Amino acid sequence: MNHASRLNWRAVARKAATYLAFFCLIFWVGFPVYYMLITSFMDPPELGAKPPHWIPQEPTIENYREVIIGETGQRGDYGTTTEFSRMMPALLNSTFVSVSVVLSNLVIGGMAAYAFSRFDFRFSRIAYLGVLMTRVLPALSLIVPLFIILRRLSLTNTLWALILTYTIFILPLTIWILREYFDTLARDIEEMALIDGATRWQAFRMVVAPLAVPGLIAVGVMSFMEAWSEFFFALTLTNSLTYPPLLMSFRNLHQVNWNALAAATTIGVLPPVIVAFVFQRYLVRGLSEGAVKG
Amino acid sequence: MSTVRLNRAEAQRRKHWDRKWIPYALMAPAVIAIVVIILSPLVTTIIYSFSNIDLIRDRTTFIGFENYVELFTGRLFWKAVEINLKFAAIVVIVPTTLGLFFALLLVEEFTGRSIGRTLLILPWALPWIVIGLLWNWIVNAQFGALNGLLYTLGLIDKYIPFMANEHWALVFTALASAWRQTSFSAILLLAALQTIPEDLYDAAKVDGAGMRARFRYITFAWLRPTLTIVLLYNIVLGFLQFDAVWMMTQGGPGDATMLISVLLYRYTFINFDLGMGAAVSNVLGLITMGVGLIFVRLIYRPHSTYV
Repeated sequence: MNHASRLNWRAVARKAATYLAFFCLIFWVGFPVYYMLITSFMDPPELGAKPPHWIPQEPTIENYREVIIGETGQRGDYGTTTEFSRMMPALLNSTFVSVSVVLSNLVIGGMAAYAFSRFDFRFSRIAYLGVLMTRVLPALSLIVPLFIILRRLSLTNTLWALILTYTIFILPLTIWILREYFDTLARDIEEMALIDGATRWQAFRMVVAPLAVPGLIAVGVMSFMEAWSEFFFALTLTNSLTYPPLLMSFRNLHQVNWNALAAATTIGVLPPVIVAFVFQRYLVRGLSEGAVKG
Repeated sequence: MSTVRLNRAEAQRRKHWDRKWIPYALMAPAVIAIVVIILSPLVTTIIYSFSNIDLIRDRTTFIGFENYVELFTGRLFWKAVEINLKFAAIVVIVPTTLGLFFALLLVEEFTGRSIGRTLLILPWALPWIVIGLLWNWIVNAQFGALNGLLYTLGLIDKYIPFMANEHWALVFTALASAWRQTSFSAILLLAALQTIPEDLYDAAKVDGAGMRARFRYITFAWLRPTLTIVLLYNIVLGFLQFDAVWMMTQGGPGDATMLISVLLYRYTFINFDLGMGAAVSNVLGLITMGVGLIFVRLIYRPHSTYV
């Protein structure tokens, strides 16, 4: 009896500790995001309230409407700027850049990964190690020559500059993950297809590619997130064409409509957040393989 | 029977034929792109760091180690190093411990676990620049969430301008970075925890190992490779973070949050001193390459325990 009740007490304590920890997790992750969300649903005067309103008292979608039609500053002197009219075009640009990066990265990286996985050719080892080594280089430190190269090609301040650099900087990771992935796929089936008279391309398309879909999704999602989020190159190579540097440009304005900015930020993080939630499983797998397995 | 043999011969012939050039063609775009866009700038950066670049007269002169001498004897660089070390310490310690804590929580069975696991991904899914913005909202002196929270709880009666204070500015920029990095660390550690075979614990229980022993010899031992990787990632981020800090403080107040990366940006894009910028780049590159090489050594070897 005594023993049983002690066990019971321990289980209760453990449950309580678990939920306390769970609350910490929710608070740590949720609080900053929650504050942005409630700000985005408030009218500007409500933001300065003291003590703050933790739930908007008169929730409004006006901020979202203004950002989407690109006309802010209709309500008094709260940030009478036309800067927000650049938000929707920037989001469109970000979408174009990200989708292009995903596609080109999958094609170019997939081809190279397949070559490294299936063929034993001269320089294959050295080329592969070379590719891996570039993953260690900080992109930050290459910006000056990169800027000069792209200016010579008259690509600065174009979306192509971003597509080109993002694709190439993500390539080492892509090749690394996909090569591991291709390596785990049984070669026998592929060999059999080859023996049965299929060409390499047919064998790839009908045997390897379908099996590699989870790996391709993981890599695709990761490159999407990277391309959507990248800031430094976008800041230095373009004049705020995409979403991240545009957000930065609001910081330097004298008067910002913080509520509209919260709405704009929320709209802009929806694509990566939705992608991350939908492909959660692939992402976690790709992340841990890319990071740990290498 | 004969058709099979014929096909096989045909396939063999085809295989030999395509083996010669196909792999080169397949890897060519990636390798050429990497050489042009990553390796050639690397070489250029090294050359620049030994040069004085006059942008106005478009003249580049070779000056040997002068940039490095100026960098290493100047006050600014060492100040950035000191600030960066403090920053990196927070970015390593907080995400690694908190990430481990959350990972251990999320392998437990309880209602709400899947919500917790999904929520964990959220910070990781946000761009760094948005994280800088979110934390600006938290520490803002007029309407910041932290001020609001402390005020609601009755702990302060006047809002504190956190970012005007040098120490708080460094702490909060580091915490903003730690916030996203905690999720990343926890995701990796959780994935590793989930691969521990349950029977290891059962066997240990049978052998009479207590909870502490089981944690130390099974959980912790199993996690060690992943923990090493997480640590390395956090160290690298501690030295490469730029976005969130640039959003929050642009290196200020004063020079309080002037990381090495911020110094690099200042030299290059504010002073237009490309030679000095390149020298800082190389130092930064060497630091992260050093960490990265340990990393590649750990994972790139056959039959590695990290696989």
